[in-house]
Amino acid sequence: MKGYIIKSLLQVIPVLLLVSLIVFILVRVTGDPVALMLPETATAEDRAVLTEALGLDQPLYKQYITFLGSALQGDFGTSFRYGESALPLVLERLPASFELAVAAMIFAIIMAIPLGILSAVKRNTFTDLLISGISVIGKAMPNFWMGIMLILFFSVMLGALPVSGRGGIEHLLLPAFTLGIGIGAQMTRLVRSSMLEILNQDYILTAKSKGLRPFIIIMKHAFRNGLIPVVTIVGLQFTSLIGGTLITETVFAWPGLGQLLVTAVNTHDMAIVQASVFVIALIVIIGNLLTDISYRLLDPRIRYS
Amino acid sequence: MKTKSWITSGLLLLVVAIVLAGCGNSKESSTDSATNSKTLTIGNATDIESFDPHNNNNTSSEAVLVNMFDYLVKNDNEQKKVPVLATSWEQVNDTTWRFKLREGVTFHNGDPFTAADVKYTIDRVAKDSALKQNSYFKSIKEVKVVDDYTVDMITDGPDPLLLNRLSKMGAGILPSKYIKEKGIDAFLKSPVGTGPYKFSKWTKDDRVELVKNDKYFGEAPKWDTVVFRSIPEASTRVSELLAGGIDIASGIPSTDVERIQSEEGKQIVKAPIQRVLQLILRETEGTVTADPKVREAIDLAIDKQGIVDSIAGGAGIVTRTSVTPGNFGADPSLYKQTLYDPAKAKQLLQESGHTGAELNMTVSSQYKEYAEVVAAMLNEAGFKANLEVLEPSAFSERYSSKSFKEIFMIGIGNSLFDASNNYNRYLKTEAAGETDYNNPKVEKLLQDALVNMDPASREKQYQEVQQILAEDRPAVYLFQMEGIYGTDNRVKFTPRSDEMFYADDITPVNG
Repeated sequence: MKGYIIKSLLQVIPVLLLVSLIVFILVRVTGDPVALMLPETATAEDRAVLTEALGLDQPLYKQYITFLGSALQGDFGTSFRYGESALPLVLERLPASFELAVAAMIFAIIMAIPLGILSAVKRNTFTDLLISGISVIGKAMPNFWMGIMLILFFSVMLGALPVSGRGGIEHLLLPAFTLGIGIGAQMTRLVRSSMLEILNQDYILTAKSKGLRPFIIIMKHAFRNGLIPVVTIVGLQFTSLIGGTLITETVFAWPGLGQLLVTAVNTHDMAIVQASVFVIALIVIIGNLLTDISYRLLDPRIRYS
Repeated sequence: MKTKSWITSGLLLLVVAIVLAGCGNSKESSTDSATNSKTLTIGNATDIESFDPHNNNNTSSEAVLVNMFDYLVKNDNEQKKVPVLATSWEQVNDTTWRFKLREGVTFHNGDPFTAADVKYTIDRVAKDSALKQNSYFKSIKEVKVVDDYTVDMITDGPDPLLLNRLSKMGAGILPSKYIKEKGIDAFLKSPVGTGPYKFSKWTKDDRVELVKNDKYFGEAPKWDTVVFRSIPEASTRVSELLAGGIDIASGIPSTDVERIQSEEGKQIVKAPIQRVLQLILRETEGTVTADPKVREAIDLAIDKQGIVDSIAGGAGIVTRTSVTPGNFGADPSLYKQTLYDPAKAKQLLQESGHTGAELNMTVSSQYKEYAEVVAAMLNEAGFKANLEVLEPSAFSERYSSKSFKEIFMIGIGNSLFDASNNYNRYLKTEAAGETDYNNPKVEKLLQDALVNMDPASREKQYQEVQQILAEDRPAVYLFQMEGIYGTDNRVKFTPRSDEMFYADDITPVNG
């Protein structure tokens, strides 16, 4: 196990280098940030002056070398928009993104586990059909529409929850629901199929024949094993939530990493794009690694293979 | 079944939690009677860029900063220049202006405001070409400190626009001692100005909080706290207004206007802004739009008032010039005027022998709907219009590389409030490759006006240019855009044409 972890960690470095190179090139060849920074009335001379001042007239390889040198010291450049160092700007968004991701995950789990178990146990009954229906709807409804509808109902009509922004727990409820329901729907189906597979196993039949109460069978014997694929999904989905929540962030004016990254992409704010992608890549890699490890810890069959 | 009852009670618990959370949530109001503190909350579509007035280039950033930083000279609601940190000024000679500064003003950190601060501020923006506002101030060659409360500004050649530059966005005076001692990075994290409100907190992409400056030299600030919230999604902004979370919402889509109007306690306020939606036409030899009859046909084919009424929800004013009232050099005879004659357009097109001619129109996605209607109208007149809708950054690329084909649609702003800013593009050197417009008479008028220090004759020069351009049609002007704001009746707000939010011009009602 230890060797596995070390090997995985070593693979992080070449992956990050490759990612940074790709992002670096893409951000520079896909457009000119200077045109976006100046008003429409700027002259060609104004643009040339700013381009030179920002060092954007240098050949690509020179710019990359400068970038790499600084990046190794933790300096990913200065944001064109904010005029501040890029990495701290990205890092200061992480708490908000984490908060939203964790809340969405908690909601998804609260939804998926009971509903998934229920629909497995009550397979092919009306309950199963109802839950499957909810899952499909939850997965199919676009985030954007869901968020706006929730705001209209709970905030504008009922006045029960705030409309937008980050604050106390009441600010977290609607965005977490919006984000979590899609994941929760997916997870419900996963729990269901995983439980079904397990409930068909011989050892469950043995437990039943021993006369154990159904609740004990499900919770003590079946569910724990059914948890393994769920843990995998939680781990993988969580990391994708860190940078991939733009729509929910936009609808609820949530100051997370998604908004920062997309604005930076639209304005070719290279330093921020580079720093964000680097941080997200790092989180995804480590998150996947942790998921991998926990999966191995939970399932002895994998551990010893 | 035990599992079922677990789930039912779980769901019940969740619902109860939501309702309880809702009961505990008190709506933000502009007057909190318990503590008697007045808070003004404004919802904008974007966050500010930074607290560096020299490195921002959009009105929504400056709209926040004008409450923290003062200019030397300011534009009032009618765009007339009024003294702020400068109490008087005179033109000593063609290239020198002398400003007398206000005494007894302090920055938020207690440092006194003196001529040294003016010198530092103007030198910085005029000399550092990496700052976005640099191009507007680089004509100021030197700032001389005559004494603590007098400065001389020397321009690079006669510059009729000096006062415009000192009263435009980016002209806020910075604290030289503070920045020299602590560095610009420390300043950006903890900014300090002379304005009626001082910095309290900035959570990026969330909100900027300002608190009142008790030591402000002017009228006592009306609000205790001013909050600028960043709410990028328009429907969420509208919802916040309707739910009472904010007092003013900017950038209301025309489709939401009726909804807000019909809501009790809320209303819509509008004002024309400095942006004119227009089509810019290429006159390079060999292009179909090089033919003046074709350009006239394009102008006559488009029902501009109709577009304003249907797509802009009435929020627009037709115009045949981009120099709208409030801008120096405006020609009122071309404002609120429009031409629309589809029959004549067809006829002109036939006369020119270009019926069925292809017109490739490039536009940024934000103006997509307008472009679609215009394309349809052009097709009606006998053209074959091809629409190319681009993402804003892709459009910017094409725009700066001058690689559009026959037409591009764009909304052009003017932060200088002077006709020269609209017409730089028609100077021969600038027009090359873009419109390729070349009218020697206009060239002479524009070049002369650039260095003409006599306002009366300068105004006449620009008015003449406008009359010629209205006939030459290097551009077809559609309409002047309007800013649409939703307000709560607990505040009184009259929007400005420069889109600034001066918190002290917004008054609480009954409070």
